[in-house]
Amino acid sequence: MSDSEGLPLMGDDPANIKLLKAALDSSISGIIITDNNQFDNPIIYCNRAFELLSGYEREEVIGRNCRFLQGSERDQKERELIRKAVLTGKPVTVEIRNYKKSGELFWNELYISPIIGSSGEVTHFIGVQNDITRRKNAEENLVYERNLVEQKIQSRTRELKENQEYLDSIIQTIRQGLIVLDPQYRVISANDFFFKTFKVEKRDTLGKSLYELGNGQWNIDQLKTLLEQILPTNNPVLDFEVDHEFPHIGRKLMLLNAHRIELEGIFKDRILLAIEDITEIRAAELRKDDFLSVSSHELKTPLTAIKGYIQTILRLLPSSIDPKIMAMVKKSAHQVERLQKIITSLLEMSRIQSGKLILEYEKVDLDTLIRNVIDDVSISRPTHLIEIEGTIKKPVYGDESQISQVLENLISNAIKYSPGASKININLSEVSNYAKVSITDYGFGISLDDQKMIFDRFFRVSTIQKHFPGMGIGLYISAQIIKQHGGTLWVDSEPKHGATFSFTLPLTTERKDAE
Amino acid sequence: MRNKKILICDDDRDILEMLEIILEDSGLDTFTEPDSTILVDRIEENMPDLLLMDLWMPVITGDEILKTLRSNDGIKNLPVIIMSAAQDGKLIATEAGADDYISKPFDIDVLIAKVKALIQ
Repeated sequence: MSDSEGLPLMGDDPANIKLLKAALDSSISGIIITDNNQFDNPIIYCNRAFELLSGYEREEVIGRNCRFLQGSERDQKERELIRKAVLTGKPVTVEIRNYKKSGELFWNELYISPIIGSSGEVTHFIGVQNDITRRKNAEENLVYERNLVEQKIQSRTRELKENQEYLDSIIQTIRQGLIVLDPQYRVISANDFFFKTFKVEKRDTLGKSLYELGNGQWNIDQLKTLLEQILPTNNPVLDFEVDHEFPHIGRKLMLLNAHRIELEGIFKDRILLAIEDITEIRAAELRKDDFLSVSSHELKTPLTAIKGYIQTILRLLPSSIDPKIMAMVKKSAHQVERLQKIITSLLEMSRIQSGKLILEYEKVDLDTLIRNVIDDVSISRPTHLIEIEGTIKKPVYGDESQISQVLENLISNAIKYSPGASKININLSEVSNYAKVSITDYGFGISLDDQKMIFDRFFRVSTIQKHFPGMGIGLYISAQIIKQHGGTLWVDSEPKHGATFSFTLPLTTERKDAE
Repeated sequence: MRNKKILICDDDRDILEMLEIILEDSGLDTFTEPDSTILVDRIEENMPDLLLMDLWMPVITGDEILKTLRSNDGIKNLPVIIMSAAQDGKLIATEAGADDYISKPFDIDVLIAKVKALIQ
């Protein structure tokens, strides 16, 4: 090899050689030539593009076997292909992981072509190399993305399936008949509880019109009108009661609720109809009402006798009676009054709870009523001077005895919880079209936290509950009574600076229920 | 002038006796009947000036008695006060045509005032 640039087999014309060298150097593919006749098939030529590709200078690679480009990755399966090609003298193209001088990995698309000598033996190999790292990375990214998408789809499918199963289990567990209707009111699906409730089979139900189910139990004009409004207007059917003699199950009271089915804001042409058998619940409610009214009667009847006899005794006792005995009878009378109030409160609370508080509406002169209540309270609790400011000239429409009870409760509380004070202020005013009554005491006051709960049932302020008797239902009842009249009861207070309880009642000559 | 005669009807005999004592003490003549089933007969026999009657009584209730009285020409104008421990007592009594109502337990002063107001 006389040529210093290492180009063999190109004839001896220097002009030709120069031309060929220039051609090879202007190739954008890296090109190397190895000499198979020498030990370990060394590189005898590389072009400029190979230098750029590998980062090695020509003098650093001449004499070395190509495998050095593989770095430490000597177990790549592509090497086997190269080895076979070298042994058999056939061309091969492989994509192999190579390393630049800097240590940076690159994907080398290597085309190896053998040069056959005159006696048929392989004398040289030409290796044409292209850096396909970007393509390879893009391919790998694509595979990676595809796998990721695949995984996401799988996990999403699993999630959906789980959600579906979750929903199915809820729908099947729910103790309410659920059916889904199409826009023609045909049953698309129903849960197990529906079939169980009505003792019907799927074949009698699915695909059938709602109105032809059973013995036509849902074929009710009013219900039809309401159901027809659901899809176009999204107005649900709420608490529609059907009292009917059903086939298989007899007379039942069913409660119907129907809604348009919407998923993430998308309107589906479906109606979900929930049917609940409330026959037993209604019967229990009636029993509870009966119980309340019987217990009211049974508690108050013996109290009537006790109270009547004690008052009769007080009337009939001669004035010469031992004062000790007179005091004992008076104490009994006082305790009976207390017991009567407790029983009344408990019964009233039960009625409020079950929505059965009956108000007897009439025109009420609040101004006079308040002055009368103050007179009564002043007699039984003479410790405080009660001062009134302002007047309410217009009447309110409400239950006088209930409003009177609220006033008595608030004024008694004001006295009860300000033992160190000697005065209560009451302010009367007309605000907008409301009568406003404020009762101010100069007692313990109420913390902000307690103010939030003070109108709750059985709530008692912890700092005072041991020192003052009571059940914590007076303010609850008062608030409920005012609410039912269409007014509001609230408190303004600071601990140690007393409290002002205020309520409003609408100034109207007509009945105004809050509900 | 003869004393006014008050007929008191209540199935609770203690209450009946208590009412008898306080009304007598207030200068009124009373007679009592715990059995509502024979009450109309007793009214027709004795023609009281006022009937003070409980609402919830066994067999025949106070409002049923009242309806019978109001449709009976001879006794339809008899003043009647209904008393009751029932929550809806006032409503039932008013609808049945009672002249007045008092809820149990009551203050005897209030009861006497109501009775006297109706017989004057």
